[in-house]
Amino acid sequence: MTSYFLKRVFYMALTLFGASILIFFLYALTPGDFVDTSLKLTAERKLELKAMYGLDKPVVERYFIWMKNALQGDFGYSLQYQQPVMSLLNDYIWNSFLLAITSTFFTWLIAISIGVLSAARQHSWFDALVTIGVFAAMSLPVFFVGLLFIKLFAVDAKLFPAGGMMMIGSKETGLTYAWDVVQHMFLPVTVLTLLSVGTLTRYFRTNMLEVIQQDFVRTARAKGLKEKVVLHKHALRNALLPAITLLGFELPALFGGAIITEKIFNWPGVGQLYMQAFSVRDYPLLMGFTMFLAILTVIGNLSADLLYRVADPRVRLK
Amino acid sequence: MRKRLSQIISTLLLGTLLVTGCSSEGSAPATSTQTATPSADATAPAASKVQDIKDGINLATDLSKLPEAAAKRTDTFIAGLTEPGGVFNPFFYHNGYDGNVTSAIFESLVDVDATGKPVPKLAEKWDVSPDQLTYTFHLRPNLKFSDGSPLTAEDVAFTLTILHDKTYDGETDIFVASIKGGREYKERKANTIEGIKVIDPQKIQITTEKVNAKSLVLLGGQVLSKAYYGKEYKPGNLEYLRTLHGKPLGAGPYKLEAYIPGQEVRYLANEHYYKGKPQVEHFIYKTTEGDALQFIQTGEMDYNSFTVNSDNIEQLQELGYVNINLYTSSAYSYIKFNHSKPFFKDKRVRQAFIYGLDRQKILDLTYQGYAQVANVPISPVSWAYTEDVNPYAYNPEKAKQLLDEAGWKPGADGIREKDGQKLIVHYYTTKGKLGEVLIPIAKENYKELGIQFEAEMMDYNAVLARTEKGDHDLASFSTTMLIDPDDGVDAFSTKKGKSGFTGTNGYSNAKVDELLEAGLSTLDIEKRKAIYKDLYKELSDDPPYILLGYRKILSAHNGKIKGLEPNPFTGISTSLPGIKIE
Repeated sequence: MTSYFLKRVFYMALTLFGASILIFFLYALTPGDFVDTSLKLTAERKLELKAMYGLDKPVVERYFIWMKNALQGDFGYSLQYQQPVMSLLNDYIWNSFLLAITSTFFTWLIAISIGVLSAARQHSWFDALVTIGVFAAMSLPVFFVGLLFIKLFAVDAKLFPAGGMMMIGSKETGLTYAWDVVQHMFLPVTVLTLLSVGTLTRYFRTNMLEVIQQDFVRTARAKGLKEKVVLHKHALRNALLPAITLLGFELPALFGGAIITEKIFNWPGVGQLYMQAFSVRDYPLLMGFTMFLAILTVIGNLSADLLYRVADPRVRLK
Repeated sequence: MRKRLSQIISTLLLGTLLVTGCSSEGSAPATSTQTATPSADATAPAASKVQDIKDGINLATDLSKLPEAAAKRTDTFIAGLTEPGGVFNPFFYHNGYDGNVTSAIFESLVDVDATGKPVPKLAEKWDVSPDQLTYTFHLRPNLKFSDGSPLTAEDVAFTLTILHDKTYDGETDIFVASIKGGREYKERKANTIEGIKVIDPQKIQITTEKVNAKSLVLLGGQVLSKAYYGKEYKPGNLEYLRTLHGKPLGAGPYKLEAYIPGQEVRYLANEHYYKGKPQVEHFIYKTTEGDALQFIQTGEMDYNSFTVNSDNIEQLQELGYVNINLYTSSAYSYIKFNHSKPFFKDKRVRQAFIYGLDRQKILDLTYQGYAQVANVPISPVSWAYTEDVNPYAYNPEKAKQLLDEAGWKPGADGIREKDGQKLIVHYYTTKGKLGEVLIPIAKENYKELGIQFEAEMMDYNAVLARTEKGDHDLASFSTTMLIDPDDGVDAFSTKKGKSGFTGTNGYSNAKVDELLEAGLSTLDIEKRKAIYKDLYKELSDDPPYILLGYRKILSAHNGKIKGLEPNPFTGISTSLPGIKIE
């Protein structure tokens, strides 16, 4: 186990090193930098600023400077926001996380229940209805549903706030504040859940169907166990195993921000920050955030593998 | 069924455009030319339904329709603003929206009115010496920062000093004013700036080395408190200032109460404001992405700006309870020639490119009538504007004739040639409405003249980088908001070369150089008017750009808010102190 773990960590470091090179050079070689996007500066002033920000140094040297600082946990200052990249991300990332974790929770809850039910009743009318619904949900674009929901539920029916994370100017704290946020979360979470539940439902349904046809399930049934027990204890547990990998992949997505949804619902998440940074070529911020996502991806992968070993004895034997 | 399907598809498409076109414009002195490329429904032709909308403020028709949330609000004004970033220092922000936030907190000595003319603010008056080199600002008595500490000439001197610091990395270029001894200070050869003299707490004298019409507004800018911002100042080190960007202290009508990243900026009225405490106690800039009409509809917000098009105007008119503000932007859009290309050396070719392009049609289709063709590089709202130039009305025959005269004759394939070179031009633009409309029209227009027009749409920064390298023939841009007429033309100076906005890549005209110099070398607006008139005539004859148009800016505010008059140069910030809620 230890040697396996160490090996994995070594590969992880190697992957991240590769990723850092890729991230840095992709951004460094994109035409235009932060100073270039400032229209009002004279050529002379631009050169001065480039020297001040270290943008005039050779690309390779800039990479090593960046790496050296990054290894010490310093991702530099955002040029546009004049703040350390990490503290800036800290301002926005948790809002995205809140939205993502809630909608992921509901997505999985709904997807598992529907997936299991429709697998258990394959070819029934319920199954057919789910299949149609799943495809409908998968094919709708998020901005369309988002705008429609705002129009119907916020502007016309006045049931929910039209956007943002809290009432404008609200000074509530504690529980009333939490309730305010919950109300503001309702529409974006619904939209996110609605649109991602489809794929996952299909995934669980297929998994369940596969497991149900296996010998051990047939054996369990033959032993005279109740259908409920067969489904939930024997089949579902096994059908959920591959989902662990899937869960590992969700990790970066939880922090990555749902750019379009955040935009439509005016949610103060990291997605908007990222887009804004891109348009002005705020490289420290862009590189820091992308690197952060790369780290999360690698960690997500590792933890999925480790969890898998815990959950499935067959993997452990290898 | 087919019809239904196409209906659904077109609704979806329209939705996409609504989302992608959500770049809220006008509310901010935008930092990029993206203001030139708004988008809305791509197919609608010029509107006819909303002709009753005039420039200026169109008053609300039915205040009784006001949503409850807005009607209940009596001491808070809420305006929408795209993504401020938290650098609330007038000399250090790099994001135009932070500029909007700061302008409510900081007050300047001199401001500009709706036509761009300087008007007194914290400075009661100013004297300029007969040689126009020395400025003496007389501060109003008993000025205070929002914490109650006095604002004196020392603070003004301090502000100007740190702008000269070697490590200053903001976008204000104080060296334009050429204060005496400024260079020496920057190079650390002197400990103080020779040209800045505090005479008494209310009087400061600034000596410059060169007459420059832009100096007055530049020198009379916003004021930082020396006691607050200068505590740790040592020449050559401005790092410490970063920690104060989020805790601004100024002498503006409002003071910062709280900044919630990505959500809102909250202000409180400043009781020490020189004109007296503003009547509206709370002011909030709410971060919104795009038009955010829904916030106006639910009454959560009082003011926002919108992309100008008939749909938006119609929707706003239907609401009934908003005042609709429509005014002409102080920016202009243009296509720049690469003057280092041999075919653009001949001004007749450039003229032909202007005559041969149906600019009116392009603007009508892009902005549905809410834009006008530009023929001078300054907006009609400015005091320097004139119509006394060649209007270059669309005239393909004239264009052909000019090309013939310049020696470009149609070849076998219909494309003009000269000395074995074909007239093929490459045009770069950003993705967006203007490009989408312009490309097909220009292609067709120029084909008729015998010019092959190759267009490419790319990311804004890519256009910028390629044009700076001179890797283009034509490229389109828009200026930022322009205050002084010189801002709109300084790129044409030979001295400026490639700098200035995006440069001209080699435009050179001795008479233009001379007039540009002259335009800056007097502070007398009447004299400058005459000079710019001559300049615009010369530029019209020997065009450095194909000027496209001046757009309209649309915003709307809840009819209960009185005294709000958005200004093409400063947006809503000038009105803030005088707003009332009825």
